[in-house]
Amino acid sequence: MFKLALKNILYYKGRSVTTFLLTFISAFFFIVYVAFMDGSHSSMLKNALDVYTGSLQIYQKEYRDKGGYDYLIEENQKVFEILSDIEGIKAYSSRLETFGIASSKKHSAAMMLTGVDFSKEAKLSQLQKALQEGLYDSTGTCLYMGSELAKKLQLTIGDEVSFVGSAIDYSFVAELFKLCGTFKTGMYDFDRQSAFMNRPYFDTIFLSQNSSSYIVSMAEQMSDNDSIAHQISRDLPTDLRVYTWEELMKSMVELMKIDSLFGYISISLFFLVIFFVIMIYGFINVSTRIKEFGILKSIGLSDRDIDRLLFYEIFILTTGALMLATPLGSWLVYYFEIYPIVIPGMSEIYKEYGVVSDEVPTRFEPLTIIWNVLVVFFLNLLSILYPMFYVRSFTPVEAMRHV
Amino acid sequence: MFKTILQVAYRNAYLRKSRALLLILMIGLSMGVMVSIEGLYDGMSMNMIDRTKRSDSGEISLYANKYRLEHVIKYRISDADKKVLALQKITGVTEALYRLEVDGLAQTARKSKPSILLGIDLDDEKKFGKFEEFLKEGELDFGKNSAFIGGGLAKKLKVKIGSKVIFTAQDSQNEIKSIALRIRAIIRSSNINFDERALYIPRGEAARFLSVKQNSATQIALRTDETHTPTLQTTLQAKYPKLSVYTFAQLYPQLQQMQTMMDVFNTITFMIVMIVVFIGILGVMYVSILDRIREFGILLSIGYAYRYIRYQIMIEALLLGLAGYFLGLFVGLLILSYLTYQGLDLTLFAEGMEAFGMSSVIYASIKSSYFISTLFAIIIASLLSVVLPLRKIKKLNPVEVIRSAG
Repeated sequence: MFKLALKNILYYKGRSVTTFLLTFISAFFFIVYVAFMDGSHSSMLKNALDVYTGSLQIYQKEYRDKGGYDYLIEENQKVFEILSDIEGIKAYSSRLETFGIASSKKHSAAMMLTGVDFSKEAKLSQLQKALQEGLYDSTGTCLYMGSELAKKLQLTIGDEVSFVGSAIDYSFVAELFKLCGTFKTGMYDFDRQSAFMNRPYFDTIFLSQNSSSYIVSMAEQMSDNDSIAHQISRDLPTDLRVYTWEELMKSMVELMKIDSLFGYISISLFFLVIFFVIMIYGFINVSTRIKEFGILKSIGLSDRDIDRLLFYEIFILTTGALMLATPLGSWLVYYFEIYPIVIPGMSEIYKEYGVVSDEVPTRFEPLTIIWNVLVVFFLNLLSILYPMFYVRSFTPVEAMRHV
Repeated sequence: MFKTILQVAYRNAYLRKSRALLLILMIGLSMGVMVSIEGLYDGMSMNMIDRTKRSDSGEISLYANKYRLEHVIKYRISDADKKVLALQKITGVTEALYRLEVDGLAQTARKSKPSILLGIDLDDEKKFGKFEEFLKEGELDFGKNSAFIGGGLAKKLKVKIGSKVIFTAQDSQNEIKSIALRIRAIIRSSNINFDERALYIPRGEAARFLSVKQNSATQIALRTDETHTPTLQTTLQAKYPKLSVYTFAQLYPQLQQMQTMMDVFNTITFMIVMIVVFIGILGVMYVSILDRIREFGILLSIGYAYRYIRYQIMIEALLLGLAGYFLGLFVGLLILSYLTYQGLDLTLFAEGMEAFGMSSVIYASIKSSYFISTLFAIIIASLLSVVLPLRKIKKLNPVEVIRSAG
């Protein structure tokens, strides 16, 4: 039966070529489309996580809901000890965030000032790589400020900046700092609002020794992040809680789900049309062969045998097309993952949406490619059901008389 | 004669019912889904653009020179009230208003966030952009020392209606000043700039806080008749050389580009779908003609003109294509009507959508162009699909055909 199916495929060239081509195009297009969609999402998330957020953060339970200095982590060292015992963590550090008004000689702006350990941040985030001018690892009264904020305050390296805010005991803080370095991460809001300073000096001003707003950590492998979060949760004091990046970046994750949803809605249209065309060609082919089926039935072939014949035909055509589309699509996806397409100026235009790079990479994910291919495969198999049903509706005599 | 051709074409078109039905279903369903997707995407981007224009820029905005670069109150528009009155008299301008804006820090007892204070006139905003439609919670009534707050900022600061917020900023005299505000309403305009950062107060109060004249502004926004927008920009720039005049596309290039990308995407989708539809019709017509090749041979041998056969086949293809089109029209209108009035409810992802300036319920738009362009494309696809089969008939030798088929 398999050989007969193969002969039929070679004989009915029109149907075979159309089915083969449409299957090839739909599988190839699907693999590449999904890879670009997933790739741009991963890239946005990865950039956001690498730049500053990290893969997980630990908070005092009430901090994210209520906020303020009343809900700081007060025993950094204890948490550090827990983190140091867990495998798979690349780096961790504590941060203490405070807000206030920063002023240069002429201008003022709101600023988020964060006390950090610069050496740990260098392993944990992109802050060091984002250095634009001056010093990164500064000490004393030095500030490491977002380039947009420095621009707004019209500051250059070495200029003085005053800051008015409050210490963690809610006492008033007014301090004079010096701009020692600027950074540009590409995350517009972040660059427009943030400044960092070394933790020892920060602690003396804000009275925040051994406290933090949160402790941030980065997993070596993102795939291990959930299990690391689980291990940390198990060992943490009950008043602390771990948030994974999915929770921290909830809005971005949701937006990506929506984007994927629309992507799949769009591609389902192509599948619908292609499914129908393959079915129509299959049906036309079958309807022109009714006499042939009549003869096959009359010499003893059952309906099931005819079904098998038709199944083999579509199976061979689909498998052939997929065997060509899958490596080609995979190669293209792999290539663009290593050498992403660059759209100059994209990050500038979409800066408010968290786009920090002009690169549009793909994501080479064998499992995703497999399910993409399987969808096309099953749709093609589905397209032969109606023609099978149609052939079954004829008795051998009716079929042989069919014009 | 034509009537006979039409009757024959009609009977032949639907002679093979299953085949015809499959083709009609293919055209109808793909067209229905395609126009629905087109309408949904158009609706989404148009909605974002519309709400951004209504909440901020209008079609054209005027700023003091340098304000857009430095964003400081020093660069403000004086006598904005007189300018607005004058602008309202210009042909093509339908609405005009002015606003006063300053960057600063919003604080509650526990939380602080960089934000902006926006001085507005509520009545002007209602006329300009139906501001009342942006109300998410509370009431649109500025009491004493009260403010409205963007939904995203309210969430970040964890404030509710009645909460107190302190806003601190630098005034026009370079003094750091604070103002205590009681939240009266939460606003969701789907404009990220404002939803995530804005506190709204009466314009007069903002002027007092910033120590500027009551008729000072940082922005004058205009609603214009779209056809006049390009010429208006040039006219206004010439009339107000000390101000910078920007169109919506210059102020929000990302939204304009999004709209362009949607158009490109819709066009590509349309072309791909129509090519595949063409392949489908071609297959059916080709086989249908091959099935009847003997019939055509007989017709030609008894003196039936080739052109009549051509008309008949073209009409057959058109009848099938148009039947599919009308099914698609029905399916498309049905889905689009639902999506236009009920919308696609994505409140499950509300947080993500609102954080990026989208409404959580997406409404589609219905444009006659969706159906007109599809009609032409289906007519063209139907007619093109018979070119190849017709060439085959034209090359026929009637005697040979009758012999070989017999």
